[in-house]
Amino acid sequence: MNALLEVRSLRAGYGAVQVLHGFDMRVNEGEVAVILGANGAGKTTTMRAISGMIQRKGSIVFDGEPITRTPPHEIVRMGIAQVPQGRGTFTDLSVADNLRAGAYVHKGIHIESDMREWYDVFPRLSERREQKAGSLSGGEQQMLAIARALMSKPRLLLCDEPSLGLAPIITQELFAILQRLNTENGLTILVVEQNANLAVKIAHSVFVLETGSIVASGTADEIANDDAVRKAYLGY
Amino acid sequence: MGQLLQYILNGLAKGSIYSLIALGLVVIYRGTGHLNFAQGEMALFATFGAWWIHDHGVPLLFAITLAAALAFVGGGVIEFGLIRPAGKKSPFAVVVVTIGLFQALNSLSGLLFQGAGTGLPFGTLFPNKPNDFFRLPGDAIWRYENVGVLASVLAITGILFALFQKTKVGLAMRMVANNPDSAKLSGVSTTRILMLSWGISALIGAIGGALVAGINTNVNLATMFGVFLLASAAATLGGLDSPLGAVVGGLSLGVVESLVSNYPKDWWASSYVGADTSVAVAFLIILVVLLVRPAGLFGSSRVERV
Ligand SMILES: Nc1ncnc2c1ncn2[C@@H]1O[C@H](COP(=O)(O)OP(=O)(O)O)[C@@H](O)[C@H]1O
Ligand SMILES: [Mg+2]
Repeated sequence: MNALLEVRSLRAGYGAVQVLHGFDMRVNEGEVAVILGANGAGKTTTMRAISGMIQRKGSIVFDGEPITRTPPHEIVRMGIAQVPQGRGTFTDLSVADNLRAGAYVHKGIHIESDMREWYDVFPRLSERREQKAGSLSGGEQQMLAIARALMSKPRLLLCDEPSLGLAPIITQELFAILQRLNTENGLTILVVEQNANLAVKIAHSVFVLETGSIVASGTADEIANDDAVRKAYLGY
Repeated sequence: MGQLLQYILNGLAKGSIYSLIALGLVVIYRGTGHLNFAQGEMALFATFGAWWIHDHGVPLLFAITLAAALAFVGGGVIEFGLIRPAGKKSPFAVVVVTIGLFQALNSLSGLLFQGAGTGLPFGTLFPNKPNDFFRLPGDAIWRYENVGVLASVLAITGILFALFQKTKVGLAMRMVANNPDSAKLSGVSTTRILMLSWGISALIGAIGGALVAGINTNVNLATMFGVFLLASAAATLGGLDSPLGAVVGGLSLGVVESLVSNYPKDWWASSYVGADTSVAVAFLIILVVLLVRPAGLFGSSRVERV
């Protein structure tokens, strides 16, 4: 299968503190890949390294192009969109302007029709187009953050703990949408989760991150059958 | 009644200029959280530039336009060459740089422009003969100059608001102001937006400086001190990250200043109460507002944290 994202000996951190200690990771085109890991394992740092928000060493190749030194605003243009942890919507902007913001890398003509398309997928956003994003509920803001990322027409969507702080029923709805984006739109998705069960259900491949290193990886089935991982992350 | 109207009208013209300089402060503050202490002196330098260009035979309107355009470029250069490197060190370094810039631009103006200390004659863009005014009820008069200044400022403000709300670059500026990380992740080059913000801020500052000099018929090294003080008060009052707040804050401080510097004089026939008292009263009002509403009248609550 064709690797859309290929990461080799990735090292990154904050100032003098190294958080990621040089691991490899590969996400194939058309897959849902999940990174599992406890709090502080380095999941967010991994996402930020891929999207270019922090300094990183090693090699990150997206669709055959090295992006290890590319700044974040150019990485979006190449087709990687990140939904940051804690949603990262523009709280002072209206829902509609958040979507326009997501389409910043594109020319004007198709933006309004793209917006209509995502309003169909997220009807609750449609009802609140003129409301400030900050006034939405947690679940609505997460949907908005995803819709905003989709407005850039990514080939790879990075979602950092999308279920954080959401009610179980909203989380289920969210994962159903992510799965549909993958199966119907062919979108490649890399999700970070602590809430592992749902994530592994929609995943093709899984990486387990512990203190900045990948300690296990494989297909979703392999990981679900790995006793140690299952006990630690799936809780049964 | 006529008297009150008169003082309000006089205050609105000055106040509109405070609004403009305050808007310049807000445009930069929104992007970076930096207060540009050199805002007034950047405007002053550009106003001397306009004087110099005009002195070389260019009509005043074109001289001011050219100076404002150069200020736009200069603002961008200052951001790129001074503020950005300082910002990589610490926010405090930026404060030091803008204060240094304040001093440097003032000294440089004194060196470059002969007679800057005592003042150079500065023309106005509007008809300003003794009887160039509208007559209003109650014997109040509205001088064409004051009408012109207010109208120009409102027009510039309108253009700025349209830029913020209706254009893609305005959207990018709002994105950076609201959430710089998500702005980057959406494809905005935040560094370019910050450079642009400094350019816009310097441009509207230059226009504000030229309007002040026009009202005073003179530009000198002290021209912008008081204006900057009241403009920063106006921005604080309005809420530092709110363009609307800057406009409302500037206009109301202009009116308050005019009332406070005139009424006591009328009542007690004392000319002793004057501009200094009005600044004190202005700051008293701000103090009260900030005690009640720490984010200012229109500011988002994020400002409270600063
Ligand atoms: N901005 C930061 N500055 C310094 N250290 C940080 C920063 N963000 C995270 N860290 C540290 O990096 C490590 C990994 O954090 P993170 O990637 O956020 O973990 P996770 O997302 O898996 O919970 C933690 O030890 C955390 O304390
Ligand atoms: Mg995290």
